[in-house]
Amino acid sequence: MWNATLKGLLAHKLRLAATALAIVLGVSFVAGTYVLTDTITATFDQLFKQVTEGVDVAVRSQETFGSLQTGETRDPMPASLLDKVKAVDGVKVAEGSVTGFAQFIGKDGKPVTTGGAPTLGVSIGSASEFTAGSTIRSGRRPSGPNEVVVDAKTAEDAGFRVGDRVKVLLQGPAQTFTISGIIGFGEADNLGGATLAGFDLPTAQKVLNREGRFDEIDVAAQDGVSPEQLRDRIRAAVDPRYEVLTGTELAESSAAEINDTIGRFLSTALLAFAFVALLVGGFLIFNTFTIIIAQRTRELALLRCLGASRRQVLGSVLLESVVVAVVASLIGLGLGVLIAIGLRALLSGFLGADLPSTATQFELRTVVVSLLVGLVVTVLAALLPALKATRVPPVAALQPETAFAPTGFRKRRIVIGVLITAAGVALLLAGLFRSEGNRLMNVAAGALVVFFGVAILSPLIARPLARAIGWPFAKAFRLPGSLARQNAMRNPRRTASTAAALMIGLALVAFVSVFAASIKASTSKILDESVSADYILSTDNFQPFTPEVAKRLTEQPELDAAAGIRLGVWKLNGANKQLYGVDPIAYEQVVRTEVTAGRLADLAGGGLAVKDTVARANGWTVGETVPMEFPRTGVQQVPVRAIYKDNSINGDYLLSLADYQGDYTDQQDFQVYVKAAPGVAPAASRAAVDRVTAAFPNITVRDQAEYKAENARQIDQLINLFYSLLGLAVLIALFGIVNTLALSIFERVRELGLLRAVGATRRQLRSMIRWEAVIIAVLGAVLGLAVGLFFGWTVVRALRSQGITEFTLPVGQLVGFVLAAGVAGILAAILPGRRAAKVDMLRAITTE
Amino acid sequence: MTSGVVPSDTETLAARAIEVTKVYGQGQTAVRALDNVSVELPSGRFTAIMGPSGSGKSTLMHCLAGLDRITSGRIFIGEVELNTLSERELTLLRRDKVGFVFQAFNLLPTLTAAENVELPLAIAGRKPDRSWVDRVIDAVGLRDRLGHKPAELSGGQQQRVAAARALASKPAIVFADEPTGNLDSAASAELLGFMRRSVDEYDQTIVMVTHDPNAAAYADHVLFLADGRIVDEMANPTAEKVLDLMKKLGG
Repeated sequence: MWNATLKGLLAHKLRLAATALAIVLGVSFVAGTYVLTDTITATFDQLFKQVTEGVDVAVRSQETFGSLQTGETRDPMPASLLDKVKAVDGVKVAEGSVTGFAQFIGKDGKPVTTGGAPTLGVSIGSASEFTAGSTIRSGRRPSGPNEVVVDAKTAEDAGFRVGDRVKVLLQGPAQTFTISGIIGFGEADNLGGATLAGFDLPTAQKVLNREGRFDEIDVAAQDGVSPEQLRDRIRAAVDPRYEVLTGTELAESSAAEINDTIGRFLSTALLAFAFVALLVGGFLIFNTFTIIIAQRTRELALLRCLGASRRQVLGSVLLESVVVAVVASLIGLGLGVLIAIGLRALLSGFLGADLPSTATQFELRTVVVSLLVGLVVTVLAALLPALKATRVPPVAALQPETAFAPTGFRKRRIVIGVLITAAGVALLLAGLFRSEGNRLMNVAAGALVVFFGVAILSPLIARPLARAIGWPFAKAFRLPGSLARQNAMRNPRRTASTAAALMIGLALVAFVSVFAASIKASTSKILDESVSADYILSTDNFQPFTPEVAKRLTEQPELDAAAGIRLGVWKLNGANKQLYGVDPIAYEQVVRTEVTAGRLADLAGGGLAVKDTVARANGWTVGETVPMEFPRTGVQQVPVRAIYKDNSINGDYLLSLADYQGDYTDQQDFQVYVKAAPGVAPAASRAAVDRVTAAFPNITVRDQAEYKAENARQIDQLINLFYSLLGLAVLIALFGIVNTLALSIFERVRELGLLRAVGATRRQLRSMIRWEAVIIAVLGAVLGLAVGLFFGWTVVRALRSQGITEFTLPVGQLVGFVLAAGVAGILAAILPGRRAAKVDMLRAITTE
Repeated sequence: MTSGVVPSDTETLAARAIEVTKVYGQGQTAVRALDNVSVELPSGRFTAIMGPSGSGKSTLMHCLAGLDRITSGRIFIGEVELNTLSERELTLLRRDKVGFVFQAFNLLPTLTAAENVELPLAIAGRKPDRSWVDRVIDAVGLRDRLGHKPAELSGGQQQRVAAARALASKPAIVFADEPTGNLDSAASAELLGFMRRSVDEYDQTIVMVTHDPNAAAYADHVLFLADGRIVDEMANPTAEKVLDLMKKLGG
């Protein structure tokens, strides 16, 4: 029996290859994701180990107000703490350091940007114990208020040389420094893509707004004192609000912060796409095995006649699937490593990160998971067809041409399909509208179940849908068109499951497209309704910038108001919350807020304004105080001055600027809204704004139209990335169409031969296959669109409170997807069509 | 050896083969399926080709019909020499000038009987001659079966649909390859009767390959093949005469 299975497999190498391809692609994505993230993790581990070399113990603030946007996660410590640390027994050297924002301005006058990594300003210490990780490659370390060192990568990219005078953007306007040296980090030219401006400590403290304070104190131990001993001693000597770590712990915790981001975001995102690819691949395998078993009915019946048990038939089919799975998964594993290497190069190019060359990480877990995933998907997909194979009666071998057209079960199919779809929809809605549990997982699981439900139901509608979709083809292309239509209709299950594979990819594409269009429309509407400002100023990457900008703008006679907005993180009973710090007088002129209680202007004297739903949930009314915990000042009782209706701009909390200045260290705006004075021509007000921002080349000025366009551009960029990743799933689905058509042609050899004998040209046969492929592809696209629109609609509805108020159908794009699916169908038909045209007439029409 | 039928001067030829040889395979394994065969098939006549299995009778028919290429010699349908035609021209010739009835699998399962009858016309994109198609359909007695799919028809009905299809495009010549091979005697008689009438009443030319003496008896003329050669012939055959000759030839 085993022998027969293997021989059967080898006899159909092509079929094997086509089936395996789907698994190869899916598994390679899984393996590639693991290898990539493992390698990046190892890289950062190594990088931070290197950077903290020589540091035995590090002291920093305990409190973490985690937020990617603010960058201020720890409040600096008072400089006096350094003396306390130095006094601890066993300390050989202790040195304070600061880190903050600094951005070089290139020779072209534009700020030097990164691919998302920070632009750092740091102090370069003088203790030789801590400089092992970084080396001055040329020139010398900075000293005095006018000198800066630059990382080697930035120096190379921007063309900076030792002795050059460069401008650096700091919290205030740009300042000019002389490059005293160029710094490297072991063999790496920069720190994970960040640009670095290094100053001596007093200069750094001054320009980074940390006078008299440190972000970190590094300590080297005397001989004979272990880092752990010293850590414990220092820990005992300082206030518990300071965190004391060994150098190793510091490296691990720093690396873990970055790796958490990569692990959570990058690997989750990539694995999600790998999962979609595998899901589509599963449909392909299910389909292929179903067709193969239909074609092998007589062969299987013969085996049964010869005494093979049902169990043996099941085993034989499953064994075939296992062999395919193992071969494909192994190839996928190899391909995955190559993909990871390619992606890593792409990523480091994209981020501008000069990552130290770490060996590609190929862990046992990668192998196990990849093989397991490939195996499970393949065998699961083959299980139903295999069970069907066991139901072939031995007598089928003796009957001529048993048409394997399973009918019946229609009612059962409807009931099961509807139940599963309903369950999926329920799960989806629960994920979207209920606030408890893992909502994202619920939504994803719901979507998955919906896909299965629709796939089960689709054979019921495949025939009428194919009839409708095929109608124009039958009209336009006469005989080939109408035969194509008939062929697409003749086996609705096959057509439906082939189309279902494409449906998944297109549903996700359509969803993303609807979602993106809705976000764009909503943003547009919010701007129209809530923003009365004429100009919006921000930096690329939303790096915050100096409040000097807003101050100078306010002084321009052409401008009425300029409101800077500062972002802050605080804690309410231990939970992280986000707020905007604003000057209420200016803010009211640029943003429309409907206040339901109190007055926004009252914030001028300090206090908080709260969104009405939040206030209601917490039972706050005007005049009450809220216990707000800030990184710098701890818990403060802040009075509520106003309660407002949501306008999608204010967020949940607006804090008065007066309080913000007291409670946060960094005073930087991430946006400035500007309103022109009445009667001033747009050109004149724009000129006034540009006059001010000329000194701040990192700031971009946009009017409302430009802001909308930029917003749309960023969304498009993101969804293009989604499209290209989903492209893989669509590609696999197209292989599915190729596979189905090839197998169908194998089945229809005699029909094709007959058509040729009675005068159909090869071109006519190719055209017949082509339109069948197009009908299947368009069918899949239409199903996918229907499901995708449903997903889009529910998600947009669910996010109404997050400011996505508009549901928009990008009709042109959606039509484009259907057309693209049709074109893809044409491509998928090329090989099968060629094969059909080559059918040997005589073999087809003579009776064996 | 020359052909069996000696045409009178007034008769035109629907098809003819001149010194045709067909070899399958190469070298040691080469099989000579047709060995220098010459045949003339006059218009408006019903010719049967007989012979034992492996005698080359099907190969001869395939070559005459332009379904298969010959190794040497010449084949004409009407005035057109098949050897000189490209693959595409040959296909169009089959479409426009030749009708076919095969032993089995004559019909596309997805099409109705009516659609199958008009299939060659649909392939050509030609409008069917309604009155002619109606006459053919009535002649085969399928008027009430037109909307049925092949799976819903009996074997005899399927072969009659195939015969109607062969005639629907008014071909110069119809080739039938064991058309009664899968039919019982009553269904066979119905089909052969129709073929006979189409020759008598509509002047159709028919060439039929068969190994059944009863079928051959419907023809005007019978050619006997053995080992790739024409070995004998018979005019105005009856089943008994054919059977006797076959016994004599050792078939």
